[in-house]
Amino acid sequence: MRGRLGLTLALAAVAGAGLLAAQSGGSASRLTGRVPAAALPAIDSIIATAVAESLPSEPLVQKALEGGAKGIPADRLVNGVRLVLLQLRDARILVARAVPGQPVPEGHVAAVAAALARGLPAPIVARLLTIAPNESPGPVLHAAADLVAHRFNPDSAADLLVDAHNKGLRGVRLLDVAVAADHELQRGGGRTPSDALARVHAMLPNVPAPEAGVTRRGTKGSYQRP
Amino acid sequence: MIDPRLHEALDGERDPAELPADLRESYARLTGAVQLLEGTPPVSVATRVMAEVRQIPARVHADNPARRLGRWLSRPRAVTVRLRPVWTLALAAGLAAILLLPSGPENGGAPPPGDRQGVARFVGHFPGARSVEVVGSFNDWSRGTLHLRDDNHDGIWDGDAVLPAGQHEYMFVVDGERWVADPLAGRYVDDGFGAGQENALLIVRPAVLPPSPAAQP
Repeated sequence: MRGRLGLTLALAAVAGAGLLAAQSGGSASRLTGRVPAAALPAIDSIIATAVAESLPSEPLVQKALEGGAKGIPADRLVNGVRLVLLQLRDARILVARAVPGQPVPEGHVAAVAAALARGLPAPIVARLLTIAPNESPGPVLHAAADLVAHRFNPDSAADLLVDAHNKGLRGVRLLDVAVAADHELQRGGGRTPSDALARVHAMLPNVPAPEAGVTRRGTKGSYQRP
Repeated sequence: MIDPRLHEALDGERDPAELPADLRESYARLTGAVQLLEGTPPVSVATRVMAEVRQIPARVHADNPARRLGRWLSRPRAVTVRLRPVWTLALAAGLAAILLLPSGPENGGAPPPGDRQGVARFVGHFPGARSVEVVGSFNDWSRGTLHLRDDNHDGIWDGDAVLPAGQHEYMFVVDGERWVADPLAGRYVDDGFGAGQENALLIVRPAVLPPSPAAQP
């Protein structure tokens, strides 16, 4: 019985090691010829570390491909990839605290890392993760990051988004809350960010939706053809 | 004009020995020719042509198969085509439908998006540029996959793409060498390579949004 258990564990270990090697090996094949050869061993090592820690590796691969395409020197490229690894580690800690006792979804970790990279404060991220732990946090985090980027108070922005969620807005509709707040602020008339947030708060959940079908930028129409 | 005496000798009405010497010589040549014709079996023109033709297959069989096939393909042949009017009309209607019906969706030629995809429209103002393309996380930062167009030559370059819903970082590459963050993106993120450069950030909404019962207009 003990021998059978030992054999099972050994097979599982071999299979796990093979899986890790396959994952990092697949990444390496995507990077060969796309990043400087001098950077490749270090990047492979970073990716292998991420895989071993059950962190998503795709953001690391994308950062390496981006650096290679931009012609970034090897040392700076490796530093850029390493920075993403650190963001992923921070993100996983936040997600694990938000969903204690549950497996940490890779998608959540990548979304939180992206929000941190956009400069969203970690306490705001932690708060927004708790409003719907089982939903993809990407849209609400981007909505918060949009509001903070437009100089709204982070805590007030989070209050607005939590209320919008409580009133039934989900997913990308939360992005419309941030767009509505920005539009209210741009209306002028001495309106402050607090005034704009209050106005959007009053219209919830009926914030305007964008034109269906095509994703455009906030400055849509700036370059209209004659 | 044959001498009458020679004519009579050939007809057997005069003894050839009575002929003068020059006529006797002509008489001998003509009778010799007659005997030669009577002794040779008759060979028609058709017989001789067929004899020549029979020699051709022998040369063809000596060719290799490829050469024979080439000769067969290049040789002109008569082909008979029979058309039934009803099928001809149906074929014409089908061709007209293919040619006249709109071939692309309304989003500028991009294929229709799926449930987890959306259409992104890229617009940039680059007067005098020779080319503008978009590279980003949606195409593994590969060049040459998403080119913008400036059909009017007014410096406004645009293009649509069907992308997975979610977040994408991207840059414009102008004239194949100048990397520019989309001035219209509205969202930016530091690229992390230490030079303070930013990528544009695009969040693609799914073309078909899930129902949101609380959000009534």
